[in-house]
Order: sequence, then structure tokens, then C-alpha cells
Amino acid sequence: MLLIENLQFGYSTEPASNMHFDLSVKDGEVLSLIGPSGSGKSTLLSLIAGFLSAHHGRIVLDNNELQDLPVAERPVSIVFQQHNLFPHLDLYTNVALGVDPSLRLLPAQIDAVRDALARLGLENIQRRKPGELSGGQRQRVALARALVRRRKILLLDEAFAALGPAMRAELLELVKALVAEHEMTALLISHQPSDALIASARTAFICDGRVSMLAPTAELLAAETPPQLRDYLGHSE
Amino acid sequence: MIVSRAIPAGLVLALLALLVLAPMAGLLHLSALPGYEPADLRFWESAYLRRVLYFSIWQAVLSTLFSVLPAILVARAFAMQPDLPLRRLLLGLFALPLVVPGVVVVMAVVSVYGSDGWLPLGRSLYGINGILLAHVFFNLPLAVRLLLPLWQVIPQHHWQLGDQLRMNAWQRFRFIEWPLLRETLPGVLLLVFMLCLTSFAVVLTLGGGPRSTTVEVAIYQSLRFDFDPARAVMLALLQLGLCMLVAMLTLKLQRMPEVEVAISTPYRRRSATLPVVVNLALILAATLYVGLPLLSLLIDALQGPVLKVITNAQLWQAFVNTLFIGLSAALLSAVAGWFLLQYSASLARQGRVTGARLIDLAGSIVYVIPPLVIATGMFVLLSPHVDVFDWVYPIVIAINALMGLPFVVRCLGPSIRQSHARYHRLCLSLDLQGWNRFRFIEWPLLRRPLGLAIALVAVLAMGDLGVIALFGSTQTATLPLMIYQQLGAYLISQATVTALLLLVLCLAVFALLERGIGGKSDVAN
Repeated sequence: MLLIENLQFGYSTEPASNMHFDLSVKDGEVLSLIGPSGSGKSTLLSLIAGFLSAHHGRIVLDNNELQDLPVAERPVSIVFQQHNLFPHLDLYTNVALGVDPSLRLLPAQIDAVRDALARLGLENIQRRKPGELSGGQRQRVALARALVRRRKILLLDEAFAALGPAMRAELLELVKALVAEHEMTALLISHQPSDALIASARTAFICDGRVSMLAPTAELLAAETPPQLRDYLGHSE
Repeated sequence: MIVSRAIPAGLVLALLALLVLAPMAGLLHLSALPGYEPADLRFWESAYLRRVLYFSIWQAVLSTLFSVLPAILVARAFAMQPDLPLRRLLLGLFALPLVVPGVVVVMAVVSVYGSDGWLPLGRSLYGINGILLAHVFFNLPLAVRLLLPLWQVIPQHHWQLGDQLRMNAWQRFRFIEWPLLRETLPGVLLLVFMLCLTSFAVVLTLGGGPRSTTVEVAIYQSLRFDFDPARAVMLALLQLGLCMLVAMLTLKLQRMPEVEVAISTPYRRRSATLPVVVNLALILAATLYVGLPLLSLLIDALQGPVLKVITNAQLWQAFVNTLFIGLSAALLSAVAGWFLLQYSASLARQGRVTGARLIDLAGSIVYVIPPLVIATGMFVLLSPHVDVFDWVYPIVIAINALMGLPFVVRCLGPSIRQSHARYHRLCLSLDLQGWNRFRFIEWPLLRRPLGLAIALVAVLAMGDLGVIALFGSTQTATLPLMIYQQLGAYLISQATVTALLLLVLCLAVFALLERGIGGKSDVAN
């Protein structure tokens, strides 16, 4: 279980503009985060990953506090919308970096990399460079690396936003399956309500740096309040 | 992480301050000392100073106009002929003057326009005519390369719209091309003006007489010929003031073209025959202007006393000195630039943009403070305490590294910033730090611009005549200084052979370093 408790952060010095998050995500769950641009979704992911330091509050995973750990020591893998892969390295090496950044891999670790590539359907193209792949294949490689890292928390920051609807749906199903299979905890940012419907039983609406509403996805997408949610979904009239 | 980047960057900044500010402070201090006046007590009101100042500005203005105005036409001609056969080769030729040392250009100009040349100008070559010919040789191609990308970023739709609205050539220029050109032209004009104002080798060898001396050359003459350090100090301060004035104007007006521009697909218009002929004639004329002197130098040198020159032991000593100074300065400049840029990119990533910009500016300090002024400061500060000629290598290497730093900042800066912006968080999350991060990520991504920067700095340092002329001697001479000494002794044919050797050395070192370090990387960073 991932717990975000009273987590506060602000880009400016004004306390009123501080972001303030409270949230919990269960093991094996993919929680979707939706909300307008600038509402704080990516900031929340950056706080969990450790790219930003919270001013106050706790991030707890299975009773262990994470908020003071350096980035590399947090049990977190992250997939961005772009630039997840190093363009000069082949797929195998891009994934292997997730196991050991010095690339000195034991035989078992090499097998793990190959298994992950096979699990994502990439075993036949593992020597290709990212520039030779489609957008969907590149995000699969990033997911394969997240798998071999064996970190409990998976953060997806608009990871599939640049893909077409069919490819997005396919990868969201894959994420759902992988998270369940490896008992991970995932947070998914997307601007498409349909993504949340596919991937998540529950969705949080983030607005003005706060979790404005957290509910089962279908219920949240049909809700009449808060008004910002209606505006965001384009149902205001 | 930011602290670990701050320490080496801080050390580099401290060294920069020592190298630049100490000589400046020394110059200012000396100029204020009572009794430390130039030999000519009414120096500031002297006709000599007025003449030097007038000539410095006049030659720079003419050189700038004769370089940039034709460059607009030539760049436009290249832009309008995207399918011209050998276009890449011709543009490659236009990059050549960047790596050809000033003294080699002088020999090439003499080879074509000298008394025995293909287009002899006789004695009138020496003075303003020769200086203009050499400055245009350098700066016309540079301006073409700076201006050409402007036409390549004009969106296709603008051309198509122009055609649809039945614009004629003048209207297309006025409404489509000029708005872009107007923004960039002041920056290009000021850059070329600054290069001509601080030009040393060309003015020293083709001018230098009482009627054609610039402030830069007068500083050198005061120190080495007239033994009047006080006058050198005054002139150095004057040159500093001039350069700062130009730099301030540049900051106010400048909008230099970016190193990386989004190149749009060239729009292939169906042109009438006459404009095509005019474009081809312009390209041909510019190509001949750049190509002929180099070709003539090659032919003259091969017909010269090759054996006599290459069996001279002093030549090989100068060869080794040139290589040593070039490579050392390039390495020093690249290391210093690397640390500065890494720190500046870290600051920029954290939103501390002003700090990042200040660090980049510190790396480009020699744009404002000419190296010869720094060298003069060092000369007058150190000479009472040590024999400066014993310290020639560290001094010449340090100042040349400083001269190269703006090139490192310009070549490497955008790539380092981009690499930070794209991959820093990913590297952090994968625990890619230190050596692993350098080996697997930074080196492959950055070796190409790094190779280019090191190659450029090396050939610039190898071709430098200003600093080595001040500190060098027969034993420590480099090839450019040797050419200058041969010219002074009227050994023109020997100087031509030495110039060819220097040219070949510079081109070989440039190619080897650029390819050797840069590799044949296909990385789209």
C-alpha cells in the first residue's frame, strides 16, 4: 500500500499557493490521475520519485517512509511521455541499464533482461536502436526496463499520450496485467478519460494542487460535482 | 549532484578571473601610477593615437561592409538554388576560412594579388587594400554561413503564399525575407566588425606601417619594438574600451542566429532563367574569391624551395611547438568549458536561468576582452618579476585556451543543455551517476560537438600569431611566427612553403580531432 499523507509542496513562497496531497493506492492497483494542466499531477509524481523534495508530509510504502530517500534508492520506476530511452544504445542495453548502471550483469540478470524483452514482445528486435522503433515499441521498452528494475511503484507520466487510441488501449491493458502480475502500485497520468476507464478501477481528479475527488472511475467521470471536473471533462453546459 | 558540479566549475571560474581580471586590474593600476606615463606625454592628444584609432575603425567598417553586403546576396543565391550540383562541397569550402590561420590567408592573398601573382596589385597590396582583401576572404564566407540558415527557416507556406499573391522578387524579399534578415543582420555586422577590429595577423603583415596600424598592432609594436610598456597599457585600455562599446551595442541589438535551427524543406520555386543565372554568377564569384588564393598558394608553394624549407631543423621545432600549443590549449579549453557548461546546465534545469547565463557569459569573456589586451596585461605585470620569455608555453597555452572557450561554449553548450533537459531525471532514477553516466550517456551523446569544439580550438591556437608574437622567440617560435619572421626577412617563397605546411597541418589536425573524438556518431540527440 502506498500512502501519501499531508504532502506539501510549493513553487512559490506563498503558503496559499502550496500543493497539498493525501492519497492511498493499493497493491496491484493502477490509480489514474486526471486534471487540468498545471493542476499538480506531474508535481505529485516528481515528489514520489524524489525529483522534487516535499516541504512537509510523508510518502509511505508498506510502512517504510520514502520522502527522505535519494532518487536512486526509492522503490520507483518512471515512464515519461518521451526521452525514456538513450538514442545511442540498443534496446537490450537500454533495458539492462535498469538492472545495473555499470552494465556488469550476472548470467541471471542477463536472463531477466531477455525475459522482460520477451514478455513485452521485443525479443526479436533487441539489437535495434530507439530511432528505428515506433512510438509504441519505444514505450514497451521503457516498460520492460521498469519490469527488470523490480521496483514496487510504477509512475506513468502521460506515458502513452503520443500514441494512437488502439496502441494506447493495448499498452494500458498490458500495464494493468503487469501491475497485477508483479503486485506493483501504479499511478497513471492521462488527459484521456477513456484511458482511466481502461486502466483503473479508481481515478483521482487533481485540481489546484489537491486531490479534489477520488472515486471509482466510471462514477467520477459521470459526476456532476465539483464544477472544475465538469469543466475539465467538457460537460459544463 | 549540483555541489559536485559546482566545485570544478568554481575552480574554472577562479582561474578565469585570475587570467582575465588580474591583467586588467594590473593595467588599470599601472595607468594610474604617477610617473608611469607613455614616452609621449601628450599621448592622448597625439596625432599618432588619432591616426591609429581612425584607421582601426575605418578598416573595420569597410571590411564589414565589403564582407556582409555581398554575403547577403551570396547566401540568398545558395538558398534559392537548393539543388545546385556540388552545393555541399561549395559550402564546405566556405567553412574553410574558419580553420585557416590568418598568416596563411595573408600568404594566399599575397600569392594572388602580390607582384608575381595572378592579379597583381603591386605595392598597393600593402596597406588598406591588402587588409580588406584578407578580411573579406575570412568574413564573407563566415557571414554566408551565418545568414544562410535564415532562408532555410522560412516556412514553405510563406513562399507558397507569396506565389499565390503574385509577389514579384522585390516584394518577396521585402515581405518574406527582409523581416528575418533585419533581426539577424545587426548581430552579424557587429560580429564581423569586432573580428576586424581585433584582427592582428592580417594587419601586422599586410599593414603595420605608420599609415595602416590598428590599436591591436600598435600595442604589439609598443611592447616589442618601442619598448614603451606605458604606451602599450594606454592602448590596451583604449582597445578594451572600444571592444566593450561594440559588445554593449551587440547586446542591445543582437539577435544572433541560433546554432541549431529547425531547417524547413527548401521550397523549390520555378524560377525564370535570369535570376538563376545571376545566382550562379554570384556563387561562382564568391567561390573564386575564396578558392583562388588557396589554389594559388598551393601552386606557389609546390614550385617554391620545398626541400630547403623542410630540411630546416627550426621548421620542425616550430612544427612541434605549434602542435603542442594547439593540442594543449584545446584540451585545457575543452575541460574548462565542460565543467562550466555542466554546472550552467544544472542551474538552468533548476530554473536558475540568470546564474546559468552568467556562467556562459564568463566562458565567452574574450569576446569582450581581446586576448592581446590580456597578453599585454600579463606581459607588463610579469616582466618586472620573471623573464616572460621563459614562461612562453604556459602563458601562450592559457591565453589560447581562453580564446577558444567561446567556441567550446557555443559548440557544446546547446548539446549539454539538451542532454540535461532530456535525460537528467532518467539518469537519476536509474542511478546513473559519475563515471557510468559519463561513459554510457554523456560521452556518446556529446562526443560529436566536443570533437568539433576541440578541433576548432586546436587549429585556432595553432594559427595564433598575436600572443606568440608577444612572448615567442626563435627557439619557441610556432609556424605562424616563423612565417612572420620569414616575411620580415623578405623570404617570401620560403614563407609560402611554410604557410602551406601550416595549412595542411591545421586541416589534418582538424579532421583527425573532429573525426577521432566525434566519431561517425549517428546519434540524434
